[in-house]
Amino acid sequence: MSAAPQHSVFSLRRVSALAHNTLLELVRLKVFYFLLLFALLVIGCSIFTVKFSFQNPLQVLKDVGLGSMSIFSWLLGLLCTANLLPKDQEDRTLYTILAKPVSRFEYLLGKLSGVFLLLTLSTLMMSAVFAGVLGLREQQEIAEITQTTAPEQLPKALEAVRAAAFQLNLIPGILLILLKALLCSTLTLLLSTVATSSVFTILTSVVIYLIGHVQSIAREAWLSGTGQISAVTKVLSAAVALVFPDLQLFNVVDEIAVGTALPLPLFLQIAGFGAFYILVYFLLAQVFFSSREL
Amino acid sequence: MSTSAISIQNLSKDFSVPFRRDAVRAVKNLSLEIPPGEVYGLLGPNGSGKSTTMKILLGLVSPTAGSTSVFGINSTLVGSRENVGFLPENPYFYKYLTGLETLLFFGKLCGLAGTPLKHKAHHLLETVGLADAHDRRLGGYSKGMLQRIGLAQALIGDPRLLVLDEPTAGVDPAGSHDIRDLILQFKAQGITVLLCSHLLNQVQEICDRIGIMHQGALVAEGRISDLINPPNQTQLVLENASPALLAALAKQTVEAGARVVGEHKPHADLERFFLKITGGKH
Repeated sequence: MSAAPQHSVFSLRRVSALAHNTLLELVRLKVFYFLLLFALLVIGCSIFTVKFSFQNPLQVLKDVGLGSMSIFSWLLGLLCTANLLPKDQEDRTLYTILAKPVSRFEYLLGKLSGVFLLLTLSTLMMSAVFAGVLGLREQQEIAEITQTTAPEQLPKALEAVRAAAFQLNLIPGILLILLKALLCSTLTLLLSTVATSSVFTILTSVVIYLIGHVQSIAREAWLSGTGQISAVTKVLSAAVALVFPDLQLFNVVDEIAVGTALPLPLFLQIAGFGAFYILVYFLLAQVFFSSREL
Repeated sequence: MSTSAISIQNLSKDFSVPFRRDAVRAVKNLSLEIPPGEVYGLLGPNGSGKSTTMKILLGLVSPTAGSTSVFGINSTLVGSRENVGFLPENPYFYKYLTGLETLLFFGKLCGLAGTPLKHKAHHLLETVGLADAHDRRLGGYSKGMLQRIGLAQALIGDPRLLVLDEPTAGVDPAGSHDIRDLILQFKAQGITVLLCSHLLNQVQEICDRIGIMHQGALVAEGRISDLINPPNQTQLVLENASPALLAALAKQTVEAGARVVGEHKPHADLERFFLKITGGKH
């Protein structure tokens, strides 16, 4: 009989096997059907804006498209991540995996990487649907304007249509939507390492998502008040600001949707903020998971 | 002296209970040595501490006191699992994977890859009798088939120690018999087996030694023959013996100063009878 092979503390092969398997699990559970809703929503919005909207239909379509991508990718990440660990533990597949030479760090990283892959793929698919529908609407608008607009006003009108259509400056916005979904998924993973049920994980994650969106407003309201600010308030607001990510930062996507170009330093700053929280949440998840009795 | 396959020294495990000050002691000062190549049966009623002991050996639970090691490597270290194959009780694997995909997945976790992994996976599917079902998803496998694929995944990393928790639970007698034969085959290959089972007849047939746990403590340990056979008794099984012969034997026995303790027909083995009637087929 052969002697035991030398054990490597970290193996990319093990992590990629776990990531691939997690992606396969989610794909075979048909979570991509969820994205059909997104496609229907965007296509429906495209038809609806032609008939009923008084605003620029391409702008409405962009607002709805980016907003839906943000909600759908967050929901997809939340629902897929919340059940990963509890299901593996309930089915005892967790025992079978960790009885192999797989560290808990590798297991957690593999699982999260699988979700990240899924979110990246689904964001790509949603972007493709979004760009496709927006492109079709753009062609319809151009055809309509060419027929109804006076020749001297045509170049300006066409330029306005093209400015409102899918442009490269939307890409940083889409990347930030993806990053926000990754951040929320990592937070959900962290919660699932300490929670005893998926329902608790999902509810807590939703509450933190909401806090993340309002915490900056609340903080400003407290700190800019005219009265004396107590030390307790200061500590509390600082703690909230530190523990919960300020998800309002990612709302620059709204600005991008109306055509405002996102400066590179600001994009990098927000991306760095998101990456930092992902790292911190993942390391915390590892701390809790490594000490957990299975 | 060779390193023990399993070494457990003064192991204790406490579990805290919510809203109670005192913890529950699941394992009490357990010490055990299992040499390489042995088939060891760990027995005990439900809640006796067997599963906790196994989980500690596999690094799934940390000990409160004492230590455990697998082939000399502390079992809290991930490296100790390079030597171990584990089949949990009532295993559930990923239902969306086929039999072959399951083995490829677990093989990759053991560091295997490429053609050697594929060959190994197909060979193991043959060994456990699932070659024909290799492309079927596990969601459609019967309980016996799941048990077999569980054994195959336990073997994929060429382990020197197999930890089997109720390997024949819910399996029909023919399947159970096959699994028993496989365990004996592993033993012949020099693989150490730690077996937890409630099927005492099967344990008696395949285990070299057993340990019986009760309320967290090891209450009996040793070779089965030493534990259960009265040392001063001999069993004689006769065929076609006439009543006159039996009477003569009894008389001679008493004259020699011995005693006939009992006289009865030999117990038929129901499992063998079942397999004979059904032809040993699935």
